[in-house]
Amino acid sequence: MIQWLNDPGNWTAQGGIFDQLWAHLQYALIALVVAIVLALPLGLLIGHTGRGRWLVTVANAVRSLPVLGLLILLYVMLAPHIHGRGDTVYLLPTEIVLILLAVPPLLASTVAGVENVDPAVRDAAAGMGMRGGQVVRKVELPNALPLVFSGLRSATLQVIATATVAAYLGLGGLGRFVYDGQASQNFAERNAGALLVALLAVVADLLLAVAQRYTVSRGVSGRFSSRPDASTSAEGGPPELPAPPATHTA
Amino acid sequence: MKKALTSALVAACATVLAACGSSGSSGSNGLSGGSSASAGGGATVASKLVLGGSPEFKTRTDGVPGLQRVYGVTFGSYKTLDAGGPLTINALKNGQIDAGDIFTTDPSIPANGFVVLQDPKNLYAAQNVLPLINKAKATPGVSSTLNAVSAKLDTNTLAQLDVHVITDKQDPDAVAKGWLASVGLNKTGTAAQGASIKIGSANFQESVLLAEIYAEALRAQGANITTRLNIGSRETYIPGLKDGSIDLIPEYSGVLLQFFDPKATAVSSADVYAALQKAVPAPLTVLDQSSAEDKDAIVVTKTTADKYHLTSIADLAKNG
Amino acid sequence: MTPPGLTAPPVLLHHAPTAGLAVDSSPGGMFSYFSDHRDEVLNWLGYHAWLSAVPVLAGLLIALPLGWLARRYRWTYPPLVTAAGVLYTIPSIALFVAMPELIGTQILDPINVAVALTVYTVALLVRVVADGLAAVPEDVAQAATAMGLTRRQRLLKVELPLAVPVIAAGVRVAVVANVSLVAVAGTIGVPNLGQLFTTGFQLSVGNPYYPPITLGIVLCVLLALVLDLLVVGATRLVTPWRRAVGGS
Repeated sequence: MIQWLNDPGNWTAQGGIFDQLWAHLQYALIALVVAIVLALPLGLLIGHTGRGRWLVTVANAVRSLPVLGLLILLYVMLAPHIHGRGDTVYLLPTEIVLILLAVPPLLASTVAGVENVDPAVRDAAAGMGMRGGQVVRKVELPNALPLVFSGLRSATLQVIATATVAAYLGLGGLGRFVYDGQASQNFAERNAGALLVALLAVVADLLLAVAQRYTVSRGVSGRFSSRPDASTSAEGGPPELPAPPATHTA
Repeated sequence: MKKALTSALVAACATVLAACGSSGSSGSNGLSGGSSASAGGGATVASKLVLGGSPEFKTRTDGVPGLQRVYGVTFGSYKTLDAGGPLTINALKNGQIDAGDIFTTDPSIPANGFVVLQDPKNLYAAQNVLPLINKAKATPGVSSTLNAVSAKLDTNTLAQLDVHVITDKQDPDAVAKGWLASVGLNKTGTAAQGASIKIGSANFQESVLLAEIYAEALRAQGANITTRLNIGSRETYIPGLKDGSIDLIPEYSGVLLQFFDPKATAVSSADVYAALQKAVPAPLTVLDQSSAEDKDAIVVTKTTADKYHLTSIADLAKNG
Repeated sequence: MTPPGLTAPPVLLHHAPTAGLAVDSSPGGMFSYFSDHRDEVLNWLGYHAWLSAVPVLAGLLIALPLGWLARRYRWTYPPLVTAAGVLYTIPSIALFVAMPELIGTQILDPINVAVALTVYTVALLVRVVADGLAAVPEDVAQAATAMGLTRRQRLLKVELPLAVPVIAAGVRVAVVANVSLVAVAGTIGVPNLGQLFTTGFQLSVGNPYYPPITLGIVLCVLLALVLDLLVVGATRLVTPWRRAVGGS
């Protein structure tokens, strides 16, 4: 495996590691961006108004859908309707599956983040004359960011690991090495592919951790004091729960 | 208003996806971008076409390298899909690829009017259906039962049974039983009494069907049969045969010979079978081969065949 | 649909319906598909349930001491949680097929999938257990010590029970994720509901053949639901005090 990874040809060839790494990132990024665009505003709205919590339940139920079945279902549904060159017929099912995986953790954590904002803080914002929209943008979102980030990190992990199945439908990405390596009995290639997926996920998680450090207000993260205390969590609420664990399904 | 926003969003997503789709296909699966130039002089027909097939076809001796070596045919690009399965057939039908590696008994070939390109230089060796079995399990009774099946099975029959399973969606086990009854192989006997055999199949329907045929024939002769179907590709189930996870699987003579001896050159049915008997490693062996053949073929749509006047693989190397 | 040249020859006609016979390819065809393949499908469902549940139990048993370790000796937390995180990102299909090389099993042995899923469950639950134990309020732990409980008694009688709701939440996630992961093993011939997906896929040439695919999805979702309810029920059983407080 080390030997396979050490061969520069395996990196730079057409369809080599660089190409597939880029393809893998593209699949993941498209899904994550769409999921954020969908889940973040919706989560803020649900958290702010307290209405539509059932959407979170629905989104969580979506998690129980089997990824492989969904992927195959979407492909056979779409295949007769998409003609001509290009990968759209493979990409659409893959992206829909990845988006469905990414939305639930993002939505749940955003809603939880907003709901956990200290009511006193919200009252203070209203008392300062802020309107609903301003409260959301200037108070609730910044205070919810740590949880939003934990949802985003969980979604990212899941999407990067699951984007491997893109290769099952004939797309590229690092899954190509896993499937091709298995099909041609090149186990070094297969194992290297799996390792690269894991590494990509770890690096992405580290980058998000750094991004979190620079975007979350120090007043919220508690980094201004030497020792964080409970005053930032909702008063009378349950002890701070650990972030929702990530799931991956492929 | 909200509705308009949603539809705009959906449209935007679709655009992004489509853009990525076209860039992805050229970036991730291309063989060699300069292939058309390297053909020298004018562009060949093949250089304008996309070939689709299984991951292993891209590197197999008689796959993409074989097309280049034997016919001087280099396709514009190779799209990795599956081994003559739904991805390849749908892609050929819907124009994602122009030529596909599909198996000759596949019902979708006549159903869609696909054109099988001839192989005058015998790039594709004979592919007779035969049982690959663990020697220890091939008792005389088991062997004679399976040999009787092979004696009755021919290409036409196999293609028709495939239609029942793939087109008519009948249960492979029911189709197997029905055919055995129609050729008188369902009569109960004791030839395989006491044998306990685990039968596997590859992950395509014809292999499942053949495995069920073997299973039902052996059951009729008193064997105790369990099945492990849809195991995947040869790379997974051959090790499974060697370590005893399964004992018997339907196979095809030519590809099996290639698998055990990548340098094999035999092409005729008899030569392949003779070479295969020598090449099969212990503890495995092959029993009698049937006359039923299902071989790899380069298949194009009628439109593509007409447009470039294609009847043989060699025509792909012409300038067009 | 089928061209005339493809219809069955007379010798085959007496036992099999003709090619012209209507086949219900719509999603609703799953009910008749189920009744036609009942034994096979129920067999797959059984394997699927076993492969979804047993690794979670095994994984929980391994994760409990590891999570305790990460909590008890704080310096072990970062390496344990990081290692678990990396393990969790390994694509399942790769782990399934690499397992025989790693643990020396037969290539088609379902135990490969069970071990791989146990690895994922451990990876998921180590952090959950550690964080769950950490969430036990300090004053509660101190009260237990003041009542004369030893360290071990305090862990087993106070801290672990109080951490159950958090751990149970993690177990629910693991169970539901496993149901989906097991199906992936169907693509390498491990008998389970995933074989319905591959079968439906193979039969969807030209036109979609929905029945096995939708049947597989419905059964997977139902299985996830039932296993999830079992975890919820088991959690209620071992945390009677929560029922007393919560009322119903």
